[in-house]
Amino acid sequence: MNQELKQEIAELKQQKTSQMYLTWVRFKRNRLSVIGLSFVLVVIFIAIFAPVLTPYHPYETDPFNRLASPSRENPLGTDELGRDLLTRLLYGSRIALQVGILIVLFEGFIGISFGLLAGYFGGWVDEIIMRLVDILRSFPVIILAMAIAGIMGQGLFNVVLAIGLVGWTTYARMVRGKILSIKEADYVEAAYAAGESTVSVILRYILPNVLPTAIIMVCIMMPTALIASATLSFLGVGVQPPLPCWGSIAAAGRDYIIRAPWISTTAGFFIMFTVLGFNFIGDGLRDAFDPTSKRN
Amino acid sequence: MNKWGYVGKRLLKTIPIIIGVTLVTFLILHLSPGDPVRIMLGPYATPETVAALRAQYGLDQPLPLQYFSWLGNIAQGDLGTSIRYNRPVTELVQARIGITLTLTLAGLVISVTLGSILGILAALKQNSWLDYLCTFQAMFWISIPGFWLAILLLYIFGLQLRWVPIAGLSGFASVILPALTIGLQEEAWFARPMRAEMLGVLNEGYIKAARAKGVRYYRVVGKHALRNVMVPMITMLALRLPWVIAGSVVVEVVFAWGGMGSLLVNSVLARDYPVVQGILLIIALSVVLANLLADLVYSLIDPRIRVEGGKK
Amino acid sequence: MRIEDLQVAFSTEEGPVEALDGVELTIHQGTFHGLIGETGCGKSVTGQTIMGLLDNNARIKKGRIMYREQDLLKLSSRQMERQIRGNEIAMIFQDPGSSLNPLFTIKNQIEEAIKMYRPVPRERREGLILEALQQVKLPDARNLMHRYPHQLSGGMKQRVMIAMMLACNPRLLIADEPTTALDVSIQAQFIKVLKDLKDNLDLTILYITHDLAVISELCDYVSVMYAGRIVENLSMYDLFRDPCHPYTEKLVNSVLGVSTRLDQLEEIPGSVPRLINPPPGCRFHPRCSEVLPVCSQEVPLLKEVKGLHSVACHRR
Repeated sequence: MNQELKQEIAELKQQKTSQMYLTWVRFKRNRLSVIGLSFVLVVIFIAIFAPVLTPYHPYETDPFNRLASPSRENPLGTDELGRDLLTRLLYGSRIALQVGILIVLFEGFIGISFGLLAGYFGGWVDEIIMRLVDILRSFPVIILAMAIAGIMGQGLFNVVLAIGLVGWTTYARMVRGKILSIKEADYVEAAYAAGESTVSVILRYILPNVLPTAIIMVCIMMPTALIASATLSFLGVGVQPPLPCWGSIAAAGRDYIIRAPWISTTAGFFIMFTVLGFNFIGDGLRDAFDPTSKRN
Repeated sequence: MNKWGYVGKRLLKTIPIIIGVTLVTFLILHLSPGDPVRIMLGPYATPETVAALRAQYGLDQPLPLQYFSWLGNIAQGDLGTSIRYNRPVTELVQARIGITLTLTLAGLVISVTLGSILGILAALKQNSWLDYLCTFQAMFWISIPGFWLAILLLYIFGLQLRWVPIAGLSGFASVILPALTIGLQEEAWFARPMRAEMLGVLNEGYIKAARAKGVRYYRVVGKHALRNVMVPMITMLALRLPWVIAGSVVVEVVFAWGGMGSLLVNSVLARDYPVVQGILLIIALSVVLANLLADLVYSLIDPRIRVEGGKK
Repeated sequence: MRIEDLQVAFSTEEGPVEALDGVELTIHQGTFHGLIGETGCGKSVTGQTIMGLLDNNARIKKGRIMYREQDLLKLSSRQMERQIRGNEIAMIFQDPGSSLNPLFTIKNQIEEAIKMYRPVPRERREGLILEALQQVKLPDARNLMHRYPHQLSGGMKQRVMIAMMLACNPRLLIADEPTTALDVSIQAQFIKVLKDLKDNLDLTILYITHDLAVISELCDYVSVMYAGRIVENLSMYDLFRDPCHPYTEKLVNSVLGVSTRLDQLEEIPGSVPRLINPPPGCRFHPRCSEVLPVCSQEVPLLKEVKGLHSVACHRR
């Protein structure tokens, strides 16, 4: 009896694996998501090889060559301190990816933990966590994060902290919803029937099944994290100069928009390129995991 | 359950959220790494002024007591006094909130109208070039930061084409670009759900039944389908409101409008904490209120909600 | 109404499905005409084609639907909307639960039908709505019309549907399995309502069902459908006395009548073929007990047996 149940569970898990493969096939078939993936790969490539791609250093100023127009030496011109703009933008990808990944990991950790707790235990635990989510959702993410970052003091890690503390609610809600549906699933009930303990059920069945949701969410939340951190930098409470951050470069360029419009425009373009890449991937993943939500 | 039971239940659920919102706003101040009063006053303040300010804010008292006296002041409409301007926060906000409100509302109207029209058209012409265009443009707008869109529009239409005034508030023309910035960004968040909801509703039996009795197709869409997608779309509206407000804060900064948003950003940078707290509270409470309103509107649209007692 | 050689195909992910393949059907004015067949044989598609309400992936390949000297398939969708649907032909559907819009009152939804086809002043509309509801024997109509669909039972909803469609004053009503979703006791009530309507109004009904018992209660003529084709047209009288097609025969025998003994009850072996790749020749031949060699090669055409009775079988 017990043996039969175990085998049944193994079979049900087998189905899950082939589902992952199907998901990958569906993802590959979606042209936009492949384009998105290549966008992101380009940004990662730039971040890794920035020193090779440009002869300049991002902090290297040149007082006699300020706000220069694009030329052979400076393909995108120079900024208000005479630094090569292209160099700063290329190095900026490092900051952007670093901050973006840290935010997503941090808020993902908080959100997924709370979501697991709320979904698994239900009752008053769920009630308290979801009320907390409701409360935080009453504040615009960017505005509350700006206030927190402003109060804690500027800097890269405070940006991550501020956005993470505010932004985890989306994860918590999605993970909770997913768990509520998994809890009802046959293989979890079968595992309980086979006499497995609560902890082992969570680790062996629930967590692995929440993982796909979490992966999609990381890709979906990356754009928000990137735009939020860039916006904080733009407003002056984020990553501080002289660190090359796209948001603060755009902010600095705004003051020289008449003389040197290329500063703000190119900085924004880099943000758009990266975010678009992640959005295409996220969209493709969502459709690949849940083909019914697609057309028809 | 009758209608008023539903309303009462919904109101009751709002109370803990309002309390939580005030708590978050209050506690934020204590996230600062050092003594908030010293940070507010800067490094050159004398011990006397520090002590005076501390007494003024009641910071020498235990935390719970501080919270309740702060709450008491708020209940009386007193949001504290700005350190930078040395004027009541309410007064500062009152002078500027109209601008932010105008911008938020204009942005909402543009985004909801544009998004709904595009979403409906995309659903009616499913898998046509129009449908793909709608999906793609939505993806594009959500992928660019609001401040950049604002700068681009300002540069192209203000500086190059000179169609609209470039900065400050001067009549209707100056509202166009800022409102358009928010409208375009947020439109994307309405177009895609509208398309999906519409496609779902158009497959419902009552759509076919309405057509079977000879109702014109545009009327079937305009009356039967539209009313049924309104509930999820209002949910979306309530969900996006905080983002629209945040958008208007950013846009105010770029277009140099002296609204509540600019005041907030400047106060954050100047560490004028009473102003920051006051504005945060106002924004959060309006979001809570809007959510409450949305729930009440559902029950007006959908008779089933009144009966089931607001099961969402 | 006369349907001639109607062919409808659906494009699906697995390939084209020939849902209707040469349907021939004549409905006489003032009669109740039953269309019977197993699930998935194309009954509902026939109804939806007449209404011009096929899904987007459907394509009408061939055929004519002659109605009062005009071919419905040649009308534009605009003409169908303005001239045919509602005031000439109306339809009620299988699932009463989803056929009424949950957000509008019964009154509002019936009024919508009246407004279009009967130019009466606003004050008289309420009277017409009441009349329509009373026609289908709904109790307490004055109160009921202010209710929302979710406050009614399935049987009541289906009667509201009929009232709504009759309020348009159509000549032909297509009823697509209106009782399938209802409880048996409610079914009987519903059929009684239809019977009374038959006695009191000059109405033609095309009644689509898989339930032979319902048809025998209501209809004057019956068309038997199998896998996208009509295999036999006959009167109610002939259906039980003289069915000619083996499929009809089996269908009749498979129904448990009061007088039938259990050992007389016949089962039809096999199941309805998938229309994505139908068997050649007569589509029933793999399940038929009286197959001839020609059955798997040639499609049998409808042949007149006597008067209005025709059958598509190589044996006759």
